[in-house]
Amino acid sequence: MSLSPNSAVSLDRKRQAVHIQLADLLLIQLSNYRWSWRGMVVTGVAAPLMTLVAVGLPAKQYGTDALAYVLVGSIVLSLMFQIMNQVAHNFSFMKAMGMLDYFATLPVYRFLLIIATVLAFLLMAVPSLLVTLVFGVLVLGVPLQISPLALVVIPLCALPLAGIGALIGLTAPSPQEVGPFTLLLTIVLLFLGPVVLPPVTLPDWLLALGHVSPSGYAASALRQAMVGPVTGRLWLDLAVLAGLAAAVLWAVGRKITWQPR
Amino acid sequence: MIAYNIQNLRKTYRRQTRPATDDITFQIPQGEIFGLLGDNGAGKTTLVRQMVNLLQPDSGRIMLFGKDIREEPDYVSGLVGYMPQSGAALNRLTVGEAVYFTAHLRGLSRSAARAERDRLLEVWRIEQVKDKWSGQLSGGQRRLMQLAVAMAGSPPVLVVDEPTNDLDPVNKKHVWDVLREWNTSYGTTVVLITHDAVEAEKAIQRVAIVRDGRFIALGTPAELRAGIALQVHVELTFAPGAQAELPAGFEPRQVAADTWSISIDQGEVPPFMAKLDYTDVVDIRLQSATLEDLYLHYVS
Repeated sequence: MSLSPNSAVSLDRKRQAVHIQLADLLLIQLSNYRWSWRGMVVTGVAAPLMTLVAVGLPAKQYGTDALAYVLVGSIVLSLMFQIMNQVAHNFSFMKAMGMLDYFATLPVYRFLLIIATVLAFLLMAVPSLLVTLVFGVLVLGVPLQISPLALVVIPLCALPLAGIGALIGLTAPSPQEVGPFTLLLTIVLLFLGPVVLPPVTLPDWLLALGHVSPSGYAASALRQAMVGPVTGRLWLDLAVLAGLAAAVLWAVGRKITWQPR
Repeated sequence: MIAYNIQNLRKTYRRQTRPATDDITFQIPQGEIFGLLGDNGAGKTTLVRQMVNLLQPDSGRIMLFGKDIREEPDYVSGLVGYMPQSGAALNRLTVGEAVYFTAHLRGLSRSAARAERDRLLEVWRIEQVKDKWSGQLSGGQRRLMQLAVAMAGSPPVLVVDEPTNDLDPVNKKHVWDVLREWNTSYGTTVVLITHDAVEAEKAIQRVAIVRDGRFIALGTPAELRAGIALQVHVELTFAPGAQAELPAGFEPRQVAADTWSISIDQGEVPPFMAKLDYTDVVDIRLQSATLEDLYLHYVS
């Protein structure tokens, strides 16, 4: 038997630097592709593509503006499936399997665990976002005018959805209950306001409800950043998304306590 | 130096009336192997979860190397390696990744963490499953991986919850050997929960027997033995096919085809031996009370 040469009795232990902790936690969370890739293909790619076809083809009669809603709405749908739902599943799994306890007994900051998880699922969502975008452009013929602001808009759209997912995962009594709830929430957020359906097809009361839905602000911001034109409304959308992201991620931080129960 | 100094620890779970830990006070010196024995639900896991700061006590204090862990929670995560009862936490990582990341996050450099990983996989004889996901391992292999993860980064204190569950006899012995060697070589303080009292006796230096959230006995196995009326086990093996002739007045129990065991008070051994007919006896074994006997005595 060969024992470690490291001194076991030293009481002078230092945490790793923040960026090193973040890199390790990110790599650990990226390993989730091993279980999540099948779900990502089905819900993150196939579902938005089917929505593009099923909603986009009938919407052609309303013109290019309406098709832009369908295209961007499908990207928001992909974001909800890839980020909100997968983050919910992941936090629920970590809680149920004792992985949160594992991290709690390591010298790591909890806010880094949250950031690493959100970042990992955002990175894993990139392929499906690109597939949805390219397929949507090819099928619907929507002309893109991608603004450099998209680099800020996409993460800001993903953050509140990830935070909502994390809250669901941490609150759900078991991982089995996460799937039905997140699916229901995805459907509600998709049809609450002009996300995937053009505004001309919605009644006034549903348009009004869109103002309380994060998906409505995400769709509005993405539409301006990808299809144009960028207006003053974008700053309102980004402010709401940033505020919501800060609020839900703060709540997630409160919910993950290293000394729980 | 005192590793753990625990005072008046009390914890009652929500919607429970009986405390899970009830006014527990004890100390563990640095470099000791300290065992916790007790029935299921006695409060052992609740106690160690408080010791690693996963659970907050309702009252009482836990000092780790002189610092209150409630006030300095980072101190625990830096100094204590914890192996929980359940082994599913790292199911999505490979064995090598789990050990490497743990060692690296506990402060080792990348190259030192890689070396630590390789060494620990060798120590626990699981090099061949280094690239397997831990979810694909057998229960025993997963337990060994958990031990490697708990030891990664060589923390000065190890808290292990039922380390020999799911292990075959060879690996059980290996676990006790490694824990003892680790303790001897580095002065690592080991706190362990086990039901395997017979095996644990080879490693444990001091033991607490827990019942209903309280310590009902605390001391070295020798001290606990001295505190009870001792019984000795006499095991007699007779020649194959021979009729077992045993002195009257004792209650033997057959443990194998030609082997009988009798439990008698220490003082009764000489008269028993004097009355025994040795004609067909081929083997005699005398065994004093084991840790398991002590455990059964105190909890009964």
